[in-house]
Amino acid sequence: MRLLILLILTLAAQARTVLVVTADASDFLLAAGGTIASMTARGDTAILLRVTNDEKNSWDLSPDETARRNGLECAEAAKLLGIGKVVSLGYREGELGGVSPTELRDRIMFYIRLHKPDVLFLPNPHAEYVEVLDRHYAGLAAEEASHTAALRNHQPPFAQVGLETHVTRELYYYAQPFDPRRREPESTATFVPQPKVSDIGAMLDRKIRAALALKTINHAVAMRIRDRLESTGRRLPLLDTVNDASVAKLTEINVRTLAGTGAKGTGFQSAEEFHYAGPDFGVPSKFRK
Amino acid sequence: MRNQHQRSMPKRRVYHCCLLLLAAAPLAAQKLPLGANPEGKRLLIIQSHHDDHTWEFGFGGFIARLTRSGYEAWYVRTTNDEKDSGIGWGRGDQINHKESVEATRHLGIKEVISLNWRNDHMDSVPMNEVRAHYILLIRKLRPDVLMTWNPWGHYDRNPDHRKVARAAGEAAWMAGLANVHPEHLAAGLKPHRVPYVYYSQRSDYGRGQVPNIAIELSAEDVRRKEAAFHAHQNVRRGSPKDAMDKASRETGEQHGVRYAEVFYFRDEWSHLPGLAPLLEESVVKR
Repeated sequence: MRLLILLILTLAAQARTVLVVTADASDFLLAAGGTIASMTARGDTAILLRVTNDEKNSWDLSPDETARRNGLECAEAAKLLGIGKVVSLGYREGELGGVSPTELRDRIMFYIRLHKPDVLFLPNPHAEYVEVLDRHYAGLAAEEASHTAALRNHQPPFAQVGLETHVTRELYYYAQPFDPRRREPESTATFVPQPKVSDIGAMLDRKIRAALALKTINHAVAMRIRDRLESTGRRLPLLDTVNDASVAKLTEINVRTLAGTGAKGTGFQSAEEFHYAGPDFGVPSKFRK
Repeated sequence: MRNQHQRSMPKRRVYHCCLLLLAAAPLAAQKLPLGANPEGKRLLIIQSHHDDHTWEFGFGGFIARLTRSGYEAWYVRTTNDEKDSGIGWGRGDQINHKESVEATRHLGIKEVISLNWRNDHMDSVPMNEVRAHYILLIRKLRPDVLMTWNPWGHYDRNPDHRKVARAAGEAAWMAGLANVHPEHLAAGLKPHRVPYVYYSQRSDYGRGQVPNIAIELSAEDVRRKEAAFHAHQNVRRGSPKDAMDKASRETGEQHGVRYAEVFYFRDEWSHLPGLAPLLEESVVKR
């Protein structure tokens, strides 16, 4: 009994807080869902900060209805990954280019100081060929927020409500594999996050289940593909009939293929790729020992 | 400490030189795949200035090749080019526009659409406003192919290139979503995603664009590209007569053909990395 209590206390002491920043409902899941699930499975507490309202990502629903459904489905997907709480910042999807970068940064910084995460997942704003620029803007704001959250002179009013400065020790920059040069070390300089691969073999089924929860987005992806093929005299047999079963199959293929791409050349079966800045990040290599 | 550092410097230099040579060797030797004409009939070229497409890093030869094969083409000149001459803003703008029409005629382009944003001032223009113009034009013209600046180009000091690249890169896919500017639908326009996108950028700018495709050009394509280049007499007077022939020939030699241009190409499924293999393997004709 004593041993069990000791074990529980040890595990509880090691449990970390993970803050996941995502521009939209699907990006964090497709790029980092397996790694997040493996963290929550070991007892970490995860919170999702969703920056936009996903009002544009449906096939034939109004913006209001699209936003409503995607919000609910994102919450369901997050729950399936073990994420305990979802906070939506509510910016309009596709419009982050018109939002004050400082305003966005400070709102993310607020949540960093509030939850004091040990680990921060953020869209990699430096990844190339990510055509959805909301991800770039959200990533830049989150990256900057991780820095300014640690500096007392940023947003002094935060301290008035008890939000003290906070240093996040681990940063996982994520992106789906659009960038052909994503595995190249960016530089030999000290202060550059380096490529890191995370084995998600044990979490792949869970990631697929979570992806299936994004029904509105998955349906839109399937319909857009079918529409493009039809307009050019082609067809994908899987999508001859677009229904729950065919959309689910397409989604599963998507997640499995992404996991296989992430694992290529690593020895894993299924993986996700990141740029990672760990506790040593910011400490010049000559001082690390 | 200093002595130790000094002693190690030559070795380090040799080491770094070797690394650089090793890194550069495959790039220098690598031949890019030669691109075929994409399926389609309509081409939209979105650029910042009157002459962007005619430079050696531009699309001139490829535009000529596509129009020769039957494509209809439109050229969007986003700014008014008022700064690009030594003869004053108003007059320079008028001459640049006139020469732009002449240059695009050599390439078989149907129309020049001038948006007339202020030249070299685009940093202060909201991105979403420029993007809205492009989305409207994409929905109206329904291009199969878009050519524009690379949104991920590095070290480009021109603010107009950067803004146009980002706005056009987003417009290419956002024009396909019905909930983006739904007012356009009320005017009878329909969503349209541009399936094939080519980006250009100076490829000698740091880690900037690394091209992934070469486009073979015929001698006639290069002749038209040369004519378009020299049509911009307001800014090109005195340029060597064979400037484009030479540039296209050098690029061609690197990729095993007589003449070529190189670009970064995004295929119709590049935005779906998890589904592209399925689509490439399993799509069949109706």
